[in-house]
Amino acid sequence: MIVGFGHITYGQTYNNFETDSVTAPEPFKPSKTQFMIRGYGHTGLNFMNTEGEKESSYVGSAFAPIFLFKHSDRLMFEAELEFGLENNELEVGLEYADVMYILNKNMTVRAGKFLLPFGTFMERLHPAWINRLPTRPLGFGHDGIAPASGIGVELRGAFDLGGPKLNYAVYSTNGPRLKDGSVEPEEAGMLMFQNFEDNNNSKAFGGRIGLLPFADSSTEIGFSSYSTSKVGTTDSEYENVGVFLYAIDFAFIKQIPAISGFIDIKGQYNNSDIDDATYTEVHEDGDEEEYTFDNKSNSFYAQLSYRPTMASSDFMKKLELVGRYSNLNTPEGAEWEERSDQYAFSLNYWLTWRSVIKVAYQTTDSVGGHDGGGTANGFFIHWAIGF
Amino acid sequence: MKTIHKILVVAVVIFTTGGMIVGCSSTKNAYTAATDVQDEFKIEKSGAQMWGEACNRCHLAPSPADYNDTDWSTIALHMRVRANLAENEIAKIETFLKSAN
Ligand code: HEC
Repeated sequence: MIVGFGHITYGQTYNNFETDSVTAPEPFKPSKTQFMIRGYGHTGLNFMNTEGEKESSYVGSAFAPIFLFKHSDRLMFEAELEFGLENNELEVGLEYADVMYILNKNMTVRAGKFLLPFGTFMERLHPAWINRLPTRPLGFGHDGIAPASGIGVELRGAFDLGGPKLNYAVYSTNGPRLKDGSVEPEEAGMLMFQNFEDNNNSKAFGGRIGLLPFADSSTEIGFSSYSTSKVGTTDSEYENVGVFLYAIDFAFIKQIPAISGFIDIKGQYNNSDIDDATYTEVHEDGDEEEYTFDNKSNSFYAQLSYRPTMASSDFMKKLELVGRYSNLNTPEGAEWEERSDQYAFSLNYWLTWRSVIKVAYQTTDSVGGHDGGGTANGFFIHWAIGF
Repeated sequence: MKTIHKILVVAVVIFTTGGMIVGCSSTKNAYTAATDVQDEFKIEKSGAQMWGEACNRCHLAPSPADYNDTDWSTIALHMRVRANLAENEIAKIETFLKSAN
């Protein structure tokens, strides 16, 4: 009782240094600085059938520890390491590492390597315990057209408009590099977003505006853009190739008594426009041929999920049904030209708020692309846990 | 880069900077006055209700009992920045979480 009361007092005087020191002695005094290890992991079993070729494998065993250092009520450092097993090797990645400082009630500055608010999927929804499906929508991740993270600085914040809310983020990062085809000819014209040391002096600028038009925070519409005037290496013939990307995102989450549960709709459209450039194709006989194409790509996904949280049975309450459609279109004439459509469905069982078992089926139809296209079906049983 | 793209980028930047300036330049007094009026005439949303709405937007909402007060302070700061939540919103939710754990 006393402990509980002490906490209530503390909670109410949060952020108010004068009153903090004059409250009644507390049996337990929480510290202002804190260090927390958090993170997530997932593992599972995949069955794939690509044009009749069957494969099955235990996968994942991904482990992503997150370190949170809170220095004061305004200053914090966050970092995430990602360990994964891929191609029979242990891969380690630094997903993000940034410091953030609250300047005032509407402005926070972040610097370092951070997840980019380009749409919402990569920044908010990709961790395995948050993503309702075991896979990412087309267009994100490996060979994706949307950036995931960047090294630079960012200013972000939110305003309460007396019910509706508005949030913004503006940032500058090193920006992407253009793959000119000299190393991987089949990827000529693609962007490489991992640019730890800039290859030119032109920085990328981007931002996102999110509007939550209703007081219940159920709906959010966001618009993001990301651009740079140069993606090529300084003094190369590609130096002046510019890039403009934009994304539109949508989210709606609400508990609706009429259907006894939560409806969750999420979607994002990405569009990428890279200035045309001339690339060289080297034929097997050593002949060189120059080619160019209209370097525009786009991708889209929409996801609908339903959780019968108001059902009478405890088992039903923890279930979730998810469906997602996504597609990806890359430039005609590029070596990586692709048109893909994908449907994914999952039946999830929530053990806790951050631990979920997903039983999913996914079918992808593609023309072109890395594997030459065709139909790929997959069946997945994955277990994700956040901690 | 095409001119239309440049214009779009500039428009976004101007819009956000403009919004920020307006938001930050409103004097402290005017702001408190506005919230005082809200306090008087509106039934304010409780921290519990805001928790149910805001914390379910991306992942399932954690229960107050999941963490102690010190942890909640860290998480609230982390979520405030990551989820870009308004200051008054996260302050209320944090107070609720710490009172109900
Ligand atoms: C806009 C999306 C979004 C909203 C809204 C949101 N969260 Fe989160 N939350 C995340 C993401 C993304 C992570 C994972 C962070 C990571 O792994 O990098 C997370 C992680 C967490 C964690 C794990 C600990 C940590 O700090 O990483 C807790 C606890 C949590 N959220 C609580 C909350 C609470 C309480 C609220 C309501 C105030 C909330 N979240 C609202 C996106 C959101």
